[in-house]
Parts: sequence; C-alpha cells; structure tokens
Amino acid sequence: MSMVIEVEGLTKRYGTHLAVDDVGFMVSEGEIFGILGVNGAGKTTTVECLQGLRRPDGGRMRVLGVDPRSAGSQLRALVGSQLQASALPDRLRVDEAVLLFGDGDRNSADRLLQTWRLAGLRRSSFASLSGGQRQRLFIALALLNGPRVVFFDELTQGLDPLARVEVWDAIREVRERGTTVVLVTHFMDEAEALCDRVAVMRAGRVVDAGTPAELIARHARATTVTFTPPVSFDPGALAALPGVDRVERHGELIRVIGTNQLIAPVCAAVLGDDQSGPPDLKVHHPDLEDALIALVSDPTDRRSDAAAGRTLEGVA
Amino acid sequence: MRALLRLAVTELKLFVREPMVLTFVFAFPVLTVLILGGVFDEDDPNFEGALPSDYYVAAYIGVVIAAIGLVMLPVHLASYRERGVLRRFDVSRYPRWALPAAWIIVAMVITIVAIAVLLVTGHLAYGLPEPDNLLGVVIGTLLGALAFISIGIALGMALPSSRSAQGLGMLLFFPFFLLGGAGPPPDAMGDPMSSIANVVPLTHVVRSIQEPWLDLGSPTGHIAVLAALVGLATIAWVTLSVRTAG
Repeated sequence: MSMVIEVEGLTKRYGTHLAVDDVGFMVSEGEIFGILGVNGAGKTTTVECLQGLRRPDGGRMRVLGVDPRSAGSQLRALVGSQLQASALPDRLRVDEAVLLFGDGDRNSADRLLQTWRLAGLRRSSFASLSGGQRQRLFIALALLNGPRVVFFDELTQGLDPLARVEVWDAIREVRERGTTVVLVTHFMDEAEALCDRVAVMRAGRVVDAGTPAELIARHARATTVTFTPPVSFDPGALAALPGVDRVERHGELIRVIGTNQLIAPVCAAVLGDDQSGPPDLKVHHPDLEDALIALVSDPTDRRSDAAAGRTLEGVA
Repeated sequence: MRALLRLAVTELKLFVREPMVLTFVFAFPVLTVLILGGVFDEDDPNFEGALPSDYYVAAYIGVVIAAIGLVMLPVHLASYRERGVLRRFDVSRYPRWALPAAWIIVAMVITIVAIAVLLVTGHLAYGLPEPDNLLGVVIGTLLGALAFISIGIALGMALPSSRSAQGLGMLLFFPFFLLGGAGPPPDAMGDPMSSIANVVPLTHVVRSIQEPWLDLGSPTGHIAVLAALVGLATIAWVTLSVRTAG
C-alpha cells in the first residue's frame, strides 16, 4: 500500500516551548488516520505543518510525495482542509462559498450541495448557519476539486450529539470514495468509531500508535462489572472467579475488575433464584478513552507533567 | 484570471452587504461636501483665488480615498485575519496574493462609484467648476486612490484584529482629513500646522487633483510622492502576505 503521508523527526518550537517534539508517523492511502491527544498535545501544530500553514524547525515531511514547505501551492490542489478556528465572511452565502472555492462550475457546485444536504440552505448566509450546518459546509469545501487527502481538525467540536453522528457518517462517505482522511480529535468515541489507525500525542510527542483495538489491548485491559447486590449476596466469592483481579466495594455498589473473561461468570453469580439479576448491572468494556487516559497519565514517563494532568478533564 | 475575477465579484458583494462600510464611504463624504462647501464666505482670500466650494472639490475626493484606504480596507482585512477567514484562503487553491489583488480591484470600483456620487451631490448643491486639465485630474485621482488602497491593504495585513484596525484607522483618518485639505486651507493655517500638513500623505492626493482641476500649479512633486507611496505600500503588503505563520 502506498504512503500518502510520511513524517519523521518533526519538530516545532514556539519560543522556548517545544510544541512538536520528534514526531513521526505514516498514513497509507485510503485510511482514516486519527491524531489523538488532550488539548495542547501538539496535534493541530503537527497537521498545520503538513498543510504548509506553519514552518517546522526540523524533520522530514512528505505529503503525496512532496514537501509541503517547498511545494505548498502544488499541494493545495490535491489536499482538502477543514481547519480548527476558521470561518467564512458572515454575509457570504452557501452557494457563493462553494462557487468561490470550487472551480466555478455551477453544476458541480449544485451536486456538492445536494450530497451534503446543503441545497436547501443555498441562499443562507454563513452567519445564519447552525454549528452542524457550518461543519457540513466546511467538509463540502474541503472536498471541492476532488482532493486525494483531507485534513479534519476537531470537526465535531461544539456540535450536539445528533450533528456529530451526521458528521461521522459524512466522514465515512469520504473514505468510501477513496480519499485518505487525517482526523485530529480529542474525542475518543469519535476516533474509535471512525479511525483505522491512530497516533496518540502527549506534550508534543507520539506516545503510541496503532489500530484502536491494539491501543486498547495494550493500555486499557480492565473490564469492569458493577452492580448493587441483593441483601443476601456474598461478594467474597467473586474474587475466585476466572478473570477477576479484584473486587471493590463503593458503599452499596460492588465493582469487579479484571479481564473480559470475568463477564459471564460474574453475571451468572449475581443471577438470583428467580433468574433476575440486579437492575443496575453494568458491564464496561475497555475502550480507547481508557487507553488514552492510561497513556497520557502514565507516571513512569518523566514527561507526565502538568500539561498532561491539567488537560485530563478535556477527555472526560 | 477567471478565478481572480470571481473572487473580486464575491468580495464586492460582501462589501456592499456591509452597512457600516457603506455609511462611512458614501454618506460621510457626501455630508462633508454639503457642510464644507457652505461654511466659508465666497470672497474669503485664503483659497488661492478660487471659490471655497470649488477649492474643496478635490478635498471631497480625498475624503473618499482616505475613508476607503484608512478605515474600510484595514478593518475588513484585519477582521478576516481575526476570524480565520485568511486561514481558510491559505488552504484554498488561491495563491496568497489573490485576495489582496481582488481587494485592489474591489476598492477601485467602490472608490470610483463613491466619487461619482459625491460629484453629483456637489454639483447639485454648489455647481462644480470645469476641470482645467481633465487628464491630470484623472491621473491624480487614480494614483491617489491606488496609494491609499495599497496603504490600506498593508495596514490590514499587519494589524491583528478589526478593533486595532478601527482604532489606528480613525487615529490616522481624522488628522489626515483635517490637515489634508478637507479642513482649513493651508493659507489659513499657522506655520507649524501648515508644515505638518505638507507631510500628510492625503495632502499630496488632494493637491494632485486640485492643481490640475483649478490650474493652481504643476502637481509633479505630489505625483512623485504618490508613486513612491504606491511602491512602498505594495512592497509592504506583498511581504506581509507571503510570510508563513511561525
């Protein structure tokens, strides 16, 4: 499979602050690649260097085989971008925006508006669009002129849950057309739902990369089952079940922690004589969010500084 | 070229939809015409022998040019930077110079329309004198407009926000307006003010229009200053527009 993006030893400094520190990764053709991390991890700076919007201090970058530093204008025809913190003029109308950034052909503009369900908003000004509509317009603009790679930076920031799911579907459609997608996000559910592979950044470095399943397996092994037991229940017996590492008690609530092997035996054990279990029984499988939290708060790494701790709330 | 034209037409539409811009560029100079043309006595000796209302014709044009270059363009462009519109253009197929180039076209069109509105108003209110040297007047007007448009683009590319652009724009606009020809005539000013007036760029615009219009002398010196301003401001905005963020 050919590589669409290659990054090696990328470094970017703002004054004395090292925003991107020796970052490297590869993105192959046709995949959705996620760059994850808490706020301030250097994700946006990294993609801005790849888009030619910033000049890195060191390292090697290739996008579609060329260096964005020297071939910026050549790349702009092949790369689509939706930027964090970007806007259109308030009074620009949707159809005008598509004509302005496209090749000016009315038919292809109309098709694009149809595809992204913007046709009914043709005459609406940018200022009057809702957050979800604006993001749909930005996706449409990023896909004008048939790019081979698109960058989406915090695409669903500030969107309501319904609009997020809409945008997710839109991104899957983009990939199905064969376009490679680089997705910057701090929403782990988004990355898990969309990305084929991800790189996790912390304090300017890539701390791990792989498929979401690989990262979950490496960093978020714990499965938990929680429930409020019936009065007669003896939680002590749970500790001996297969897969169980430990049993915790939080007031009324019992939490069983271990590998996913424990799920069936624990659930069977809490089944009452009348075949009904505790009504609040909850099984939590390890997910990418657990993996990210484990990765960015790993105390064995000397870089687990204030930056990582401070931004944990952004993940939750 | 077609893309540039499309960009210019879109930008022109956006300008026209901006009420604040229209007020300042169209209404303010018209009010100036009506007031300045009527405040002085017809045989006031400070106007180099011309009628006050004739003398101020060039100043009205200067007000339009200064309003566009010092206020309208910088505020508009700085708000593009502030809101991330410039970033959006940075990742589009338009080269970096395309947006400033479109603004030059748009601002020229607006300048010409605003000047036409002004001259009609002035003519209806006070009657306009026949230009002594029409070609000279046109050259002075276009060169003056280009100088201030280039300055406006350079300011807009340099300033971080629309508020800072508005602040600095107003700070420059009013002294330029008062000393550059729309205020008291130079002969009525004291020596220090009259020397300051001579270095205000708008003075050169107004004199480049006024001298050929009323046959008050040769504007060559003023024209040279305007040409130099166009060159310097163009170098400034081109430099500012091609730089990549740090």
